[in-house]
Amino acid sequence: MMGSDGAVRAPRTEWEGAYLDGRTPTRQRATIRLMPSGLEILTERGARFFWPYAQIRQTQGFYAGEPVRLERGAELSEAVLVGSPAFLAELHAVAPEPGARFHHPARRRHRVPLTILAAIAVVGIVAALYRWGIPALAELAAARVPVAWEEGLGEAALGELAPPERRCTDPAGARALDTLVVALTRPLGATPYTFRVYVLDAPPVNAFALPGGHVVLLRGLVERVRTPEELAGVLAHELQHVLRRHALRALFRHASTGLLIAALAGDPTGAVTYGLEAARTLGALQYTREAEEEADLGGARLLLAAGLDPRGLVSFLEELGEGGTDPPGVLTYLSTHPSHADRIARLRAITAERPTTPVAPVDAEGWQAIRTMCARAG
Amino acid sequence: MTESDPPESPAASEAAGRPAPQGDTQRLYFHGSGPTLFGIHIVNVLLTLLTLGVYYFWGKIRVRRYLMNQTELLGDRFAFHGTGKELLRGWLKAALVFGIPLLLLGTLPPFLEAGPGVQSLAALALYCLVQVFIPVAMVGARRYRLSRTSWRGIRFSFRGPAVEFLRIFIVGSLLSLLTLGLYYPFFEAQRYRFMTVNAYFGTRRFGFDGRSQDLLVLYLLAVLVAGVSVLVTSVVVAAIAAVLAAAASALSPDSPLHALPVYVLLFPLFLPTLGAVWAWFSAKKLRYFWDHTVFGDARFRSTVTGRALFRLRLVNLVLLVLTLGLAWPWVTVRSTRFAFRYLTLAGPLDLETIQQEAQEATAMGEGLSGFLDVGFDLG
Repeated sequence: MMGSDGAVRAPRTEWEGAYLDGRTPTRQRATIRLMPSGLEILTERGARFFWPYAQIRQTQGFYAGEPVRLERGAELSEAVLVGSPAFLAELHAVAPEPGARFHHPARRRHRVPLTILAAIAVVGIVAALYRWGIPALAELAAARVPVAWEEGLGEAALGELAPPERRCTDPAGARALDTLVVALTRPLGATPYTFRVYVLDAPPVNAFALPGGHVVLLRGLVERVRTPEELAGVLAHELQHVLRRHALRALFRHASTGLLIAALAGDPTGAVTYGLEAARTLGALQYTREAEEEADLGGARLLLAAGLDPRGLVSFLEELGEGGTDPPGVLTYLSTHPSHADRIARLRAITAERPTTPVAPVDAEGWQAIRTMCARAG
Repeated sequence: MTESDPPESPAASEAAGRPAPQGDTQRLYFHGSGPTLFGIHIVNVLLTLLTLGVYYFWGKIRVRRYLMNQTELLGDRFAFHGTGKELLRGWLKAALVFGIPLLLLGTLPPFLEAGPGVQSLAALALYCLVQVFIPVAMVGARRYRLSRTSWRGIRFSFRGPAVEFLRIFIVGSLLSLLTLGLYYPFFEAQRYRFMTVNAYFGTRRFGFDGRSQDLLVLYLLAVLVAGVSVLVTSVVVAAIAAVLAAAASALSPDSPLHALPVYVLLFPLFLPTLGAVWAWFSAKKLRYFWDHTVFGDARFRSTVTGRALFRLRLVNLVLLVLTLGLAWPWVTVRSTRFAFRYLTLAGPLDLETIQQEAQEATAMGEGLSGFLDVGFDLG
């Protein structure tokens, strides 16, 4: 027995508890004695055991209300149970060295501050991942997808979004559009993509690019642009989305946001996930503002390199921004391509240095054919 | 939380406790608290993020261990013996065996621009694989969970062969389809029976003496009540819709309102009535299953009501949605307390006659169960 030196309170070494033999569900009352090198257990049936601390593991008694449970042996072990957590504190006092690996009830008071810290860290990490981690990861992943996969993906999406029967297929218009694309892509040299432009018979003023080289213009937009330069501007912008793989990046962002949400909700199969999933989809597959600016910048450079007048892109955006007499719903292009004053200002700065004698994107006849593509088909 | 605390367990005050006199009515008590579980959960989330997901399995074990350790019967706590390592290993194995074929079958054909014949064949194979996968997974998960759970040092176990459950599943699904659902109550009773009578505590087996016919009657009754309630609600909705449409056309003859079927807007009116019928039926079914479940000479008894079940589910859903899932620990605590509040076990337990008889811990289904532990919560 350890002696008391007067100043220090003698540890309580005898505890009432229970013993489970691991063979029957019978709880035997037991006296457990704390020794410097192990536990001495005396059961109500008169059995006496000595358990060295090194052979004991603690499996319960970490949280308020749990009894302390110590087990010895392999898979189906014997166990002793002591109701009071003070038992653990005394164990640490009696056997500080071998007892160090057991839980100390004093540690529990750190839990509240630790929980708060963890919560703050989680919020910080999630915010940082959402703001920087996921976009960076999406860019990295998008860059490694083979072009053939991109084309497959784009093909499938094209069938959904612009089914053949809803396309305007007037041959003269299609030829003129091809001419425009060839003129625009000439400065790019060899790219892995085959660009194709479709006109969809739908009223909104909008355009979108799909992975793998498909660009879809909606009838509303084709009828709304005033000059071939404006159309060339829109196309140059959309081609940049293809070249920079923005759609793939958006897809990867979408998927990793899903993983993040799954990590936050305790049960990824629960009903919450469905609610959150809906919210996620709403914001999904819209390009980020950064992607739009990249496309603007790259588009303007492409127009310059092709010897075209880049002001068409600016004037089209400005014209849409002014709105005016249009019925609502026509300005969809702005809702998916957010226009900001600074976006136009930046574009103006880039397009300040323009070719003195710009080339016309298409001839007058081709321009007319494009403008009336859907009318002729109908 | 709005739920009241469960009655204090007789043994909670008497820590050293002797077994309560047998032949009494016993209850399970849950002592866990929402804030503590939240602390565990948020640390799990943090570590899962920091380890790129690997810690997920250890976190899951910590939560389950806490829930078991806070559950008490006759003054003694349950214990959970699973480890994160085995859960991770099981998940990896299952991902290899099932995950990869599923992923390939699901994504490759459209990518390879396969013909429609190949695509529908792949879809069929995928469907069959999932159909096999679900019952095998359910058995695996139950086997894993029970084998890792103990009370007073004695392990639970599950000894039902997956093949038998697969047979029940395939036959049951087909017959339910062929009989237009009439067979479904029989199918459900068979599933419950299989899951119950193959469960053991040590050497003692659980039993089920419910009859499929009783369940069929219950189902028919539920369909009848639901039909009447839909009919009544439809009449009310139609009346409101007629009034609204008349008002709309009186106000402006060109209004698009009467081009649109107004009752579409009134559809949510069906939710409270159908929800109430569903809750009433679920509670009745739950009571039936528990009241026919036995453990030796002792019988379970449930007094759960539809109203209470409806309230629990509704409040849980609102809590989760409003907090974007952060209330998950409180919802879990509420649900566990709820489950135990209405459940008793009456009759002699004769614990002395029970021996330890744990089943092989690394059973064949363990890999799968580990994987399924992630996706399915059917235990």
